Amino acid sequence: MSALKVLIADDHDVVRKGLKMLIEEHAGWQVCGEARSGREAVEKCSQLNPDVIVIDVSMPDLNGLEATRQIRKACPRTEVLVITHHDSDEMAAEVMDSGARGYVLKSDSDTDLVRAVEALSHHKPFFTSRVTEMFLANRGSRVTDPAGMMRKRLTMREREILQLLAEGKTAKEVATILGIAIKTSDTHRTNIMRKLDVHSVAELVRYAIRNKVLEP
Amino acid sequence: MSSTRVLLADDHSFVRRGLRTILEGTNHYEVCGEAADGSQTLELAARLTPDILILDISMPPPNGLEVAAQLRLSLPKTRILLITMHDSEEMLHAAAATGASGYLLKSDAEELLMKALHRLEEGQCFVSPAFDPDLAKQLFG
Repeated sequence: MSALKVLIADDHDVVRKGLKMLIEEHAGWQVCGEARSGREAVEKCSQLNPDVIVIDVSMPDLNGLEATRQIRKACPRTEVLVITHHDSDEMAAEVMDSGARGYVLKSDSDTDLVRAVEALSHHKPFFTSRVTEMFLANRGSRVTDPAGMMRKRLTMREREILQLLAEGKTAKEVATILGIAIKTSDTHRTNIMRKLDVHSVAELVRYAIRNKVLEP
Repeated sequence: MSSTRVLLADDHSFVRRGLRTILEGTNHYEVCGEAADGSQTLELAARLTPDILILDISMPPPNGLEVAAQLRLSLPKTRILLITMHDSEEMLHAAAATGASGYLLKSDAEELLMKALHRLEEGQCFVSPAFDPDLAKQLFG
């Protein structure tokens, strides 16, 4: 039987090292690659075609949730397990929204992570009971969450650009990173600001932090 | 030469495992214990009296800063290296006030952990290079 290929994406070397050790202790599992940002995770997923990717939410350039959306589109066979230190109901809902099929908190046990990878390797979802309870308890309230409704109006590309702008990149830098024309990048910025009803980069940054697009 | 005994305190098991892997790759450091929250850290530190404590700031209570402040009084010989993802100067000020000897960003951990530990063993302090060196010197000496 061929080995289960796992890709690891986290911007902290020490976390990747810990995850690699944990995964490779399991017979038949192999870490096929590592990524330090969401963008690198998307690229490596396409190149390496892993069975499972273990991905952190808070990463530079492209956060783990946006990366997950892109991976689910480009590599539908790859199952996504999100790991995060954000222990909140909003995050649980965001993770489910992104198309990930598993969600483990960094404070959960090693056993939970191993069980999650195991479940996903059989294309079964995995959520710890704590996460499932959080999600079920808040199912109703999300429908009326104005920030969530507003975010829904942004396209995948716009959410990607929102993070880059909030990280302090100019429209020109965004254009270079994404390989698009400066004019297109400018148009995206205008549309994002209009849709979110914000009028300055400072407001955009505040919005991005409040909605966990990036870390404070 | 006897090994330096290190206690690891972080609520994220992957981080503890990563740190342990780095330390066990040397013949010099011995991981004498692991703690996943502040209370466990205080208990293990009192029992094991490690030479060095690698201590995460954001942990289930008491947090790393409170733990560091308490241990400076009860175990003055244990050197404390705070490890964190917080790169703000406010947090650096708060960390210095606890009497900890080092402040290492998690993003620097793999590259600079050894350097930080050596500095602490030599009786010096260590601050991640992302901070203004003058400020680091002023706060940690």
